Amino acid sequence: METKANIVVIDDNPGDIELLRMALEGAGVDCTLSVLDNGRDAMEFVQRLGPFAGIPAPDLVILDLNLPSNDGVEILQAMRSGDAFPDVAVVVLSSSSSPREKSRAASLRVKRFIMKPPDLDAFMKIGVTLGELLAEKRSEEASAGG
Amino acid sequence: MRSFQDVPIRQKLALSIVVTTAAALALSGIGILAADSLLFRQYLRSDLSSLASIIGDNSTAAIEFDDPRSAAQTLNALRVRTHVRSACIYRADGSVLARYSHAFENGSCPPAAARDQIQSTAAGLVVSHPIVLENRRIGTLVLLYGLGEVGARARLFGAAIILVLLISSVIAFLLSSKLRSMIVQPILGLAHAVAAVSKTRDYGIRAQKLSGDELGVLVDAFNEMLGIIQLRDSDLRKALVDREEALIEAENSRKSLETTLASIGDAVIATDLEGFVVFANPVALALLGRPEAEVTRRHLDEVFRIVNEFTRSTVESPVRKVLREGAIVGLANHTLLIAGDGREIPIDDSAAPIRDAGGSIRGTVLVFRDVTARRRAEETTRRLASIVESSEDAIIGHDLQGFFTSWNKGAERIFGYSAEEIAGQPASVIAAPGSADEIPEMLRRIANGERIEPYHARRRTRRGEIREVSISISPMYDELGRIAGASKIARDITEQVRAAERLALANAALQRANEKLARSNEDLERFAFIASHDLQEPLRMITTYSQLIVKTYAGEKDDRARKYVEYISAGARRMQELLADLFAYAEIGASAEESGSAVDLNDILRTVTQNLRAAIDETATTIAADPLPVVSAHAGHFVALFQNLIGNAIKYRGQQPPSIRISVAERNGQIRFSVADNGIGIEAEYLERIFVPFKRLHGNRIPGTGIGLAICQRVVERYGGRIWAESEFGNGATFIFTLPSVARLREDR
Repeated sequence: METKANIVVIDDNPGDIELLRMALEGAGVDCTLSVLDNGRDAMEFVQRLGPFAGIPAPDLVILDLNLPSNDGVEILQAMRSGDAFPDVAVVVLSSSSSPREKSRAASLRVKRFIMKPPDLDAFMKIGVTLGELLAEKRSEEASAGG
Repeated sequence: MRSFQDVPIRQKLALSIVVTTAAALALSGIGILAADSLLFRQYLRSDLSSLASIIGDNSTAAIEFDDPRSAAQTLNALRVRTHVRSACIYRADGSVLARYSHAFENGSCPPAAARDQIQSTAAGLVVSHPIVLENRRIGTLVLLYGLGEVGARARLFGAAIILVLLISSVIAFLLSSKLRSMIVQPILGLAHAVAAVSKTRDYGIRAQKLSGDELGVLVDAFNEMLGIIQLRDSDLRKALVDREEALIEAENSRKSLETTLASIGDAVIATDLEGFVVFANPVALALLGRPEAEVTRRHLDEVFRIVNEFTRSTVESPVRKVLREGAIVGLANHTLLIAGDGREIPIDDSAAPIRDAGGSIRGTVLVFRDVTARRRAEETTRRLASIVESSEDAIIGHDLQGFFTSWNKGAERIFGYSAEEIAGQPASVIAAPGSADEIPEMLRRIANGERIEPYHARRRTRRGEIREVSISISPMYDELGRIAGASKIARDITEQVRAAERLALANAALQRANEKLARSNEDLERFAFIASHDLQEPLRMITTYSQLIVKTYAGEKDDRARKYVEYISAGARRMQELLADLFAYAEIGASAEESGSAVDLNDILRTVTQNLRAAIDETATTIAADPLPVVSAHAGHFVALFQNLIGNAIKYRGQQPPSIRISVAERNGQIRFSVADNGIGIEAEYLERIFVPFKRLHGNRIPGTGIGLAICQRVVERYGGRIWAESEFGNGATFIFTLPSVARLREDR
C-alpha cells in the first residue's frame, strides 16, 4: 500500500524550495515536503530536540550545504553520529562545487550529490531523480520486510 | 781437631795462667809435704827416744825387783799414746818382764832389735832402748810405733794442698779474664781497623790506642803507616783527576773551536805561510764546490779563483797580500768566486794573518761569504718600493704613536697631502669628524701584534672632502722582531659605497612596491574568487525564473514581455560566462602554491582539438604542430592556454579557412612556443592591451568574454614564462610564449 513519502528539505533559498516542489510535482512524486530554512532548526531536527522531539524519521532529507549559522556538512555529521535517525537517506542539493565539501559529504553516506543547475529544464529533472530514489528505497524496504 | 797454635789468644792466655798457677802450687805442695814428712820423722824419733828413756827410767825399779806388775803399770802409761801399738820390757837376759799392747793388738812383743836403735820395719818404727841403772844395763825396752799417724798426716796435707790448688786455679782463671781483655782488646781493635781499611779502602780510618805498652806502640806505628798511605793515595787521585780534567778541557776547547768554525755562517779557510790550505770549514767547501780532499793541502790559488764581476780579470788572492803586507785586507766590491763546478758566486771577504804568541806570522785566515741573497734582497727592496709607489691604494706607515713615517703616491692621490707635507703628522689629520676616537684603539691592537682585517672607515682629504675607504692594518717589525709601527693599506671605495647606498635605496623602494603589488594582487584574487562564486547564486535564480516566466506565460502575454524576459535571460547567461571565466582566472593564482605533475603537451593539444571539434570542423581549420615537450604543470592550466589561443585563431579568422601552426624551439634556458594563424591579425597599438582582462577589441560582433588572453598570460607567468603577440594587421597573428627549460621533464617522442 502506497503512502505519501515524507521528505524534509533543509535550504534557506525559498526560490530553490519552490523549484524543488515544482520538480517533485512535475515528476509525479507523491510526498509531503517539510522545510527547515536555517541551520539551527536543522540541527535540532536531526537530533530530535526541542519542538522536534518524537518526530517520525523522514524518508529522505534534501540538504543544501551553504546555510547560515551551521553549515550542511555539520548538520549531516550530527545526524549520522546521533541516535535520532542516523541512517536516513540524504541527497545533497547545493550550489557549492568545492571538491573538498563533496568528498566530506561522500564520507557521510550521501545518496546523491546534485549541483543546483543554472537551467530550468535541468532543475526539473531533479524531481525525476528523487522519485526514482524513493521508489528504489521502497522496493529495498519491501524486500527487507519480506 | 785444631792445633794449639790456632787457639785464640784469649784461650791460650787463660790456659797459660791456669797451668802456671797450678804447677807452682803443686810443686810448693809437694815440697811442703816432703819437708813436713822429714821433720815429723825426726821429731818422732826424738820423741820416741824421750818416751823410751822416760819409760825405761820409770821401770828400773821394777826390773831391779823383778816386779812384772809394776813394770806393766809403767807400760800402761803408754795408753795415752795411741800410735804405740805395743811395748815390752826385756830383762837383761832377754826374757820378757812385762808387756803392753794397745787395744786390738795381739799382745806379742815386738822383737828386740839387735842394737839399741830406732828401726823402720813394715809394722812401724821399732824402738829398742836400754834400761840403765848405775851405769849398768839391766834391761831393754822395746816399742812398736805404728806409722798410721804419718800416713794420716800426709793425707791431710795432700788434701789441703789439692784444695788450695783448686781454689787458686779458679781465682787465677777469673783473674785471667781481666788480664785477657787488657791484652786482647787492643789487638782486636787493631785487627778490626785493618779489616775496615782493606774492605773500604778508606785510609782515613785509625785504630784506637788503648794502652801505652807495646800494643800501644804497635797501634801508633800502624796508624802512622795508614797516614802515609792516605797521603799518597789522595795525591795519586788528585793527579789522576787533574790529568783527566786537563784532557777534557783540551778536548772541549778543540771541539768548540771546530764547532764554531763548522757552524759559523761564513766560509773560513786557513793557510800556511806558503798559501797552502790547512783547514776549510763546510761553508767554505760548499762555496768552493769541492770536497775536502780537493781543498786541504792544495794551494789557495788553485781552489779559490776570484774575478772582477765586470772586467772578468783575475783578482789577486788576498792571502798573498796579507803575507806581503802582514796586515788585514778586504776584497774590493763586485768580486765573483768561480766555484769548482763553474758557478759564479758574488762574495764579500777579508783575510788576516795568523800570528803565534811571539807575534810572528804562521799563516793566514780567509773569511768570505756568499752575498747573492743580500744582492737579491736589495733588488727585491727596490722593486717593492716601486710597487708601493705605483699602487692605486694608499700605502701608509706610521709609528706606534700614530705619526706618519711613509706615504706613497696612492695616498697622495686619495688624501691630497704630499709625502713631505704629511711626514711627522699624526694620523688624526686624515680622520673624518667623529672617527678620530678609533685611532688609539687601533694603535693598541697593533702594538699587541694583531692584524686588522679590512674594515670600512671614513677619512678626510686635505680639501676637507670625506672619502669612504677600506683599511687593513698590519704590524711592522724592526730587524729585532719588535713591533715598530703599523703598515696600513687604504683603498678608496667612495664610489662603490655611494653606488651601494643608491642600490640599497632602490631595492628598498622596489621591495615596498613589490609588497604592495603582492598585497593588492592577493586582495584582487580573493575578491575575484568570492565574487565569481557567490554571484553565481543570484544569477542562477534570475536565469531559472526568467525561463520559468517565459515557459509559464508562453503565447499568453503579448510578445514584448517574452522578448524582455529573453533579454534578461541572455544577460544573465552572459554574466554567468563572465563569472565562470573570472573564476577560472582567479583560480590560476589560487593554486599557485601547488606543484604540478608531468603533463604531456601533445595530450593537452589532443584534448583541446577534441573540445573545439565542432568549431574546427565547421571552419575547416587545419592545425600543424611540432612534437611538444612534457612539462611539470597542472593539466587544466595548459588546456585553458591552448584552448584560448587556438579558439582565438579560429574566432578571428580571415577569408580563408584557418590554418594554425604550433612550433617549439629551445634556447638560452627557455622553451619558446609559438601559435601562428592566418587570421585577421591585430593592430600594432593593441598588441599589449589584448592581455588586459575584459578588454575586447571587437564588441559583440564576435562573441567572447575578453578574459581568454588574460587567462593565457596568467598561466604562462604562473610557470615563470612570458607571453606576447606579434602581428601585421590583416596578415594573421602569432602568439608566442616561453617556459623556463627547468619546467621540461623530458624530450617528447
